[in-house]
Amino acid sequence: MDETVAEYIRRTVLKIPRDEIKSMLQTWGFLSETQLQTLNFHQTKDNISQDVVQLCEDNSADIKQAAVLDIIYNHIYPNKRIWSVYQMNKTGEETDFFDLTDFKKKFKRRLQSALKNVTINFREYEDNAIWIRIAWGTPYKKPNQYKTSYVVYHSQTPYVFISASVLRSTLPLLCQALVVASNYHDIREMELRSHCLNSLKDIVFKRYSQTFQTYYPRPLQERNVAPENVDLRIIQENRSEKERIQRVNREVFGDGPQPKLEFAQYKLETMFKSNPKMDVLDIKEPFRCLVKFSSPHLLESLKSLAPAGLADAPLSPLLTCIPQKARNYFKIRERKGFFPGSFVSP
Amino acid sequence: GRRGPVSPGAPRAERGPAPLPRRRRPAAAAQRRAPQSGRSGMASPSERGLPPRGGFSHCFIPVYRFQENADPQKTAFLLRKQWALYSVTPLYKFSSGKLREYARLLGAFIAAERHKGLAVQVGVDLDIQVTFSSLPDLKGSEQDHAAMLVQLSSRSSVSPKNSEEKLMWSGWFCCVSGDDLSENVPEDFTCLPLFLANGAESYVAIVGSWFQKTFDCRFRRLAISPLNLTWMAAMWTGCKVEKNASATELVFSVPCLPQPLDISYAIHPEDAKALWDTVQKTPGEITQEEVDLFMDCLYSHFHRHFKIHLSATKLVKVSTAIASAHCDGIIKFLQSKYLIGVLMLLTELAISQIQ
Repeated sequence: MDETVAEYIRRTVLKIPRDEIKSMLQTWGFLSETQLQTLNFHQTKDNISQDVVQLCEDNSADIKQAAVLDIIYNHIYPNKRIWSVYQMNKTGEETDFFDLTDFKKKFKRRLQSALKNVTINFREYEDNAIWIRIAWGTPYKKPNQYKTSYVVYHSQTPYVFISASVLRSTLPLLCQALVVASNYHDIREMELRSHCLNSLKDIVFKRYSQTFQTYYPRPLQERNVAPENVDLRIIQENRSEKERIQRVNREVFGDGPQPKLEFAQYKLETMFKSNPKMDVLDIKEPFRCLVKFSSPHLLESLKSLAPAGLADAPLSPLLTCIPQKARNYFKIRERKGFFPGSFVSP
Repeated sequence: GRRGPVSPGAPRAERGPAPLPRRRRPAAAAQRRAPQSGRSGMASPSERGLPPRGGFSHCFIPVYRFQENADPQKTAFLLRKQWALYSVTPLYKFSSGKLREYARLLGAFIAAERHKGLAVQVGVDLDIQVTFSSLPDLKGSEQDHAAMLVQLSSRSSVSPKNSEEKLMWSGWFCCVSGDDLSENVPEDFTCLPLFLANGAESYVAIVGSWFQKTFDCRFRRLAISPLNLTWMAAMWTGCKVEKNASATELVFSVPCLPQPLDISYAIHPEDAKALWDTVQKTPGEITQEEVDLFMDCLYSHFHRHFKIHLSATKLVKVSTAIASAHCDGIIKFLQSKYLIGVLMLLTELAISQIQ
């Protein structure tokens, strides 16, 4: 077995949390059940990985098989990578029948004709998700297995989720191969990025609870206040305002859990308008700013701002439109004749 | 001690290039300042019997003659590093003629601590070398004591001749325009109220405890309040913008939500300066009202777009082309031209904490 393959397998196993190693190796299926029985999973991960490498050596593993283990790891832990969303377009209404074999063949052919040194692996999952792993090389160097790109393509949709490696120069080639293989005409990058792959899917597949401008009945005013607050001397002064905020928040954000995004970025090129009270000269040029919001769970965080008194309710549509517009990168320019100016450019 | 915001007009700066007499702040302005101070025990300058403080030079140019002497080459190593800030009370019976001896004594102290098994993450076969040196250019007035640098480097103890000396930790004491303090201490005391450290915190503890034992002084971490951060944002934004200067960036934190939120608000340096220039009315003087107005403009522009009240969040970091400052008391100097100016401001904060 190649030394580089051995090292690659060893490092991949080291990434896996100890409790998961056995089940992941079973899913991999490259080592037999008997072989797996011989492994002691109670030793250090260093030793476990050495033992696994030894077993793979016995089975003469090659890079293709090692790559499958890597796909399995990334499928279970996709949030270690950052994903961008792309949308493919085709003119015409016909929905072609999706032929997986044809797709794989065309994809490989397109990539390999441009770049000889490339490792390509496919793995299909339920919900029609095709995972593609690509390790990139150069005309003179073998593929670097540590610099990989991942593609997740849901064949019944025009959406592709790409976790590009550091080699961004390979992106155009990758996009081209996808378009050709899937019989689309072109592909564009949506301004939507996150670590949480499932949330990205939720957003583009509209799987989160959407907000509709329906009538929401007043929340249960008839119900008695919860027993914790029996003291009648305590009065909530702005109870109706609090309730209004909660109601408006629900209308704007919906009832269900929000998709998980970590950041949103706004490039502002709007005019600076001073409050007339402030007596500051109006500046004639756009006031150029870059605003970036970050949070472990951005949308939930934004949702809690108004109830916490830190923001008005309803919150600005610039923020609340993120799931509907399926983007978290924005460029805002002044809309003529409106206040507040907000014109979202594509 | 006197706590609270930096007295607005405090650091005296001269406009360059031509040295001008110190500007005096009109009495009315001193009156205006009083309501903002809000902290007990903070007397207005006239009550203390000192002349009223001049305002900041709006370009924040340091005292001219020292800037002329300050060799950017010599101070280049101070730039683009993160320095943790401390205030230090005056040192008793410190002598700048004894630097070699101090280095030896501190070295012995560190070796003893290592022997005891305390602190230091250095490997067993490494020696720690201590050097003390003087940085005479880093001062703001004649009365300031020259800055002093302490450096710890490691060298292999097994083959000292062959191995390289690797710098592990640096700390320097300075006083820039600290006349407020140095004019008021008895003779045997040396005023170097600002201490900046780069490297593992455990070394600060060791070096700090040696200084505390030897010179009967006290180190305290110097945090920077959001109010002082807004001053820095305004002052540094007002400085002349070079081509390709970095943005004026303000970072706000909202930790107490179910999911914490950080907001970075970066403004193009030319636009930020243009805004500041329309706000800042009196040349050679900056007032609290002007800083507040500048910040309110930024807050209201933000609110117009996002409906979020930035003023209710916590300002934790300010970054401009001149320097960046974090509320935990961390500074990064980015331009040697303004090094003295920023040190002057930090010295003021340190003195505030000591008194």
